[in-house]
Amino acid sequence: MSHGGRWRHRLLLALVALYSVFPIYFITVQSLKTPAEDVFGSPLWVTDPSFENYAELFEGAEAPVRGFVVRPRVPYERWLLNSAAVLAGSVVLTLTCALAAAYALGRLQPPGWRWWRRALFASYVIPHTVLFIPLYQLLVALGLDDSRSALTIVYSTMALPFCVWLLSAYYQHLPREIEESAFVEGASRTAAFARILLPMSRNVLVAAGLFTVGTVGQDFMLASVFLLDPAKQTVAAGLGVMDVSLEELVAVAGVNVAAVPVMLLCAGLARGYVRGLTAAMVEGS
Amino acid sequence: MGISYLLMAPAVVLVVGVLAYPVAWEVWISFTSLSARAEGRGFVGLANYRRMVGEPFFWRALATTAVYFSVTTLAKLALGLAMALLLARPSRARWLVFLAVFLPWAYPGGVTVVAWYWMLNPPLITSYSLAAGHLKQAVDGAFGSGAWAFGSVALFNVWRGGSFTAVFLLAGLNAIPRELFEYAALETRSALQRLRHVTLPLLRPYLALAVFLSFASAFADLANVWMLTGGRIVFPVVGTYAYWLGIHDGELAQAAAWSLSLVPLLLLALVVLFRWFDPPREQPA
Repeated sequence: MSHGGRWRHRLLLALVALYSVFPIYFITVQSLKTPAEDVFGSPLWVTDPSFENYAELFEGAEAPVRGFVVRPRVPYERWLLNSAAVLAGSVVLTLTCALAAAYALGRLQPPGWRWWRRALFASYVIPHTVLFIPLYQLLVALGLDDSRSALTIVYSTMALPFCVWLLSAYYQHLPREIEESAFVEGASRTAAFARILLPMSRNVLVAAGLFTVGTVGQDFMLASVFLLDPAKQTVAAGLGVMDVSLEELVAVAGVNVAAVPVMLLCAGLARGYVRGLTAAMVEGS
Repeated sequence: MGISYLLMAPAVVLVVGVLAYPVAWEVWISFTSLSARAEGRGFVGLANYRRMVGEPFFWRALATTAVYFSVTTLAKLALGLAMALLLARPSRARWLVFLAVFLPWAYPGGVTVVAWYWMLNPPLITSYSLAAGHLKQAVDGAFGSGAWAFGSVALFNVWRGGSFTAVFLLAGLNAIPRELFEYAALETRSALQRLRHVTLPLLRPYLALAVFLSFASAFADLANVWMLTGGRIVFPVVGTYAYWLGIHDGELAQAAAWSLSLVPLLLLALVVLFRWFDPPREQPA
């Protein structure tokens, strides 16, 4: 590569990094501002960072109402716990169902497995957000309205088609000999799966798991339609009902408190994520 | 073989219960006169559809939806491909830039949409409200009221989805044997030629998959912002108008017809995409 080409490459890389991180930086800067700086400061940086917006999330803020001083607050800790529970539940449910289906489709390959897989995968394009009238009726009929498990089930179904496709593509491309040597040594199918295939698919599982995290993380609409009781809401649903227009900085801080741990988790697993995707894409490896 | 169907059962039950059943319900309802305002319901055949296509508003909404999907999808593909190609070239800062590119997707969209919305549509009290207000007026003046808000949703989706596409295509590039690129470098004259005749054809299945995966998130982002603002974004879009008809006007049958009007387009996209990433040739299993 020429000298000039290398510098151009570096410049482009820097631009890409800046473009990707800027909105997150911008949001974080606003969330650290005091009301005074919010009005008179610069939108691009913060000179006197304060965590008062973050503290307000958990403690509430004093507000005079008709001569009394009240502390209106939102159950933010509960929202965080609910979000974590829904997220963890969705990942576990999705991966369990996806692993079972993917093993059947990619490894056992029953007649018509290609069509089964296509049909499952095709279901991914149906926008869930247009289905929630019948979905809501279904959940009410099952006695699952206003419940976190209903949301967990719906989220799992959203992520499932891609996870099944990913894992089954990986299992389909793995050479048969890998298990066959174990069968020769007398291992059962279950044992061969648990001891050989499962550890081998670690990265693909990471990819499927992170994809589920991303799918759950992107929803706001279903959470706010299905969960009405503030004690049961997730962060996304809760922030939606907060009186955001008056306290937009507190809401923005609330976004960051929920988003940063998820982002760090994903960043930590990013390398495994790419490797897992690649492993599922490589033909005949 | 029975065992493979048993293993597939949980995934199939979830997809049928949470997706197929609601879709079937909507199809059935769209042929009736079900409405929250009137007693009883009768079979009315295609009357709902006839009424829908008779409204000029429907065609405008359909066109907006199609434009939104194609513009965001193309932007995500172009950006994602450019970033993936940049990241595929070896360099020292690659790992850091890769992490930066990964972050927009990892920063959970369902909550950050709250922050994103308030960043682009700041209330009256922040330091950059005036500038943002002018921009909003200019855009709305040029493209019609609501255009700025609609554009901000598209921008958010491109930022988030472009990140996902970049990482996805990077994994795809990693899955292509290196020798193919080395051979191509000898055979072609320019980088552009190499891109057109080698990289793009090799990446085609992954490009198709990326398009497929980006549909769902494009819809989710749109619905999120729409919901968040209580329907204040008045830009006519099929999915959100269906929600308006169903939830606010109680015209459930009309809403079902509106929701389903996207199905032919989605099916068409599905057929094309499946031909690209899962061609119907039967491989020896």
